Amino acid sequence: MFVRSKWVVVCLIALVMILSIGIVINGAKKITIRVWYPDELGIKPKYVDQAAAAFRKDFPNVNLEIRRFKMPPRDFKTKLLLALGSGEGPDVIHFSGGSNIAEFADAGYIVPLDKYVNSWPDWSQYPDAVKGGVTYEGHVYAIPYGLDMRWLYYNKNIFRAVGLPVPWQPKSWNDIINAAIVIKERAPDKIPFALYAGVAGSGGTLAHAFLPLFYGAGGKLYDSKTGKWIVDSPAYRKTLEFYREVFLKYKLSPQEVMTLPKPWTTMRRKIGTGELGILYEGGWVYGGYIHNLGLEKARETVGYAMMPSEHGKFFFTIGGSGTVWYVCSQSKHPELAWEYIKRFNSKEIVAHINIEDPHPVARMDSASLPEFQAQKYLVDCTNALKYAKFPPLQPELTKVTYRIQLLTSRVASGELTIDDAMKKYISEMKSDLGADKVEIVK
Amino acid sequence: MGKRYRNASYPHQNECDIVRRSRYLFWGFLPAGILIVLFFITPAIWGVYSSMTNMALVGKAARHLQFIGFQNYLKLITDSAFFTAIMNSVKYVVGGAIIGQFLLGLGLALLLEYTEKKGIKGGNVVYGFVMLAWLTPALVSGFEWGAMYDYYYGTLNNILKLLGLSKINWLGKTPMLAVIIANIWQGTAFSMMVFDSALKTIPVELYEAAKMDGASHWQSIRYITLPLIKNIAIIDLINITMVTFGVFLMIMAITNGGPGMKTTTLSLYAYRAAFENYRIGYGCSIAMVLLAINLIFGFTYLKVLKKIS
Repeated sequence: MFVRSKWVVVCLIALVMILSIGIVINGAKKITIRVWYPDELGIKPKYVDQAAAAFRKDFPNVNLEIRRFKMPPRDFKTKLLLALGSGEGPDVIHFSGGSNIAEFADAGYIVPLDKYVNSWPDWSQYPDAVKGGVTYEGHVYAIPYGLDMRWLYYNKNIFRAVGLPVPWQPKSWNDIINAAIVIKERAPDKIPFALYAGVAGSGGTLAHAFLPLFYGAGGKLYDSKTGKWIVDSPAYRKTLEFYREVFLKYKLSPQEVMTLPKPWTTMRRKIGTGELGILYEGGWVYGGYIHNLGLEKARETVGYAMMPSEHGKFFFTIGGSGTVWYVCSQSKHPELAWEYIKRFNSKEIVAHINIEDPHPVARMDSASLPEFQAQKYLVDCTNALKYAKFPPLQPELTKVTYRIQLLTSRVASGELTIDDAMKKYISEMKSDLGADKVEIVK
Repeated sequence: MGKRYRNASYPHQNECDIVRRSRYLFWGFLPAGILIVLFFITPAIWGVYSSMTNMALVGKAARHLQFIGFQNYLKLITDSAFFTAIMNSVKYVVGGAIIGQFLLGLGLALLLEYTEKKGIKGGNVVYGFVMLAWLTPALVSGFEWGAMYDYYYGTLNNILKLLGLSKINWLGKTPMLAVIIANIWQGTAFSMMVFDSALKTIPVELYEAAKMDGASHWQSIRYITLPLIKNIAIIDLINITMVTFGVFLMIMAITNGGPGMKTTTLSLYAYRAAFENYRIGYGCSIAMVLLAINLIFGFTYLKVLKKIS
């Protein structure tokens, strides 16, 4: 009896010791902050690491875990959302802003950063327009560092060879079509113009093709007064007529933009290699030309112009808050997550990353650095932003983008007439958003 | 030990044997049963449930999951893109699976059988090449065909160029035909393999007897081969129909569903709804319709089999 009791006591003591050791080990375990970011080009890791080094210096007891996803943004978004949906998301998210801010905020994936930015002196360096681009329902949800804008790129060698003016600034849509016709006639082995359409064009179909035309025709996609999406207006018809002329009437843009898995990769490259005449694309694409051709050769080869409105009454670009940083609501230590974001968005890192991956800077003091001012291209980008028009930052934009992708491709492929394509679009938008959420402007 | 009763039909079998056999069967089938429940039945039930919710990965619906009954299905009725996708799926399955894979697979199997009987060599090499296409992953095959069809650098257009002919915009002009050909190329091997096995089960004596009765080669096929392989043919049809309805990776790699909606099939449309537009509930409702169409095809095949039997 005594022997048995002794063994019971020994076992109990052993159990208590094991549990205590476990508690001590668990208690001593470092706090971990996980940072997820997508990067295909390999420009960002250097800067992410610089911010990480600064963070680790200030928080030596915090384990900072950085994970780079070498994949296109669309794939990253799916991966990220599945992780967030299953409660396995990181602490800090790096992803494009725009409508994602509204979608993520509505889903409860990200937290408002008001209390952090209010006590951050550097926030005063961000212009109100930039702050507005990351504000949703009165709260700041994201911190931008490099902004988006777009150019109408053209290959100067092709232009010179066919007798078109260099530098070139089209005054109207007709100027663009006429230039493409000249290329088609005088350089038949070149692709005159690439206009994104369809689902294949991904976000580019909206921001790099449809919107520059639609806004240029005086269109409005979302009525903020009524809170409704405009699903039919003269601007829609004019935009689709432009598509019809480019794809079907004059056959200036290849159908491949609607079938290639990543048409933007192909078309961006072709502008640089002199196989494509004209392309509307992101301002950051120029960084690829500098990287591949060198600064001087890039200047000689690739030109850029502002997008004209239909009849040249104004010139503009499509703007955006670019890639931004979010603090994930699943983070157990949002204040530490914020500390990482703060260190990435320093004056120096913001200036240097945007020199290497050309974007207008989000904070004004970065733009004042001499090395930034020395880059003519970046100064031009920053100036162009004064004339920027933005996509509506509404949570339904993903659904609307998809329907616009279908709309453009139905016309561009000749599958439907403009009228029939519009009928389908209106019916699909009513189905997706609700009949009370859409309106028609005559 | 209780009293044992002899089974009149099976004199060596008694109740204990039956119980023992049932136990063996139960334990034998259990692992497969668990896998089927885990990986087929549970996701199917989850799919049915999800199709009746507003489940989404973004927006307010991601935070507030709601049971919405048949609302997703009602939305499908007003979604014209959905009907285009149904038509595309039917075209793709009829062209790719029913006409292409099935007939070509049967033809190849008959040809292989014929060459074997005649002692013509090379049948195995052909078999091997056809199998290679089947073994290639769908995504890889898709990129291969994309490279073949490419307007600027594609193999097909380079051949045309060498022959002095002008280029053809394969994916722009005939996108559905292009993806159907790619599907036939990849899927034919399965039908060929199934029919080849079926043909080997037909006793040679039947053909010899027919030959002695003066039957021609075609008559042998018509009155001996085809009736004897019809059951296998239906199984093959059910299988290739279901597999082809579910194909989307290959289409995604070749045409990305375009141009326009011309090659967007139901499975691709469901994928887009769920993982590109992040509307999981809506995507599941499309998948359920796809399942229903598959069942209709399956029951039709079985009915036809019953009729011709």
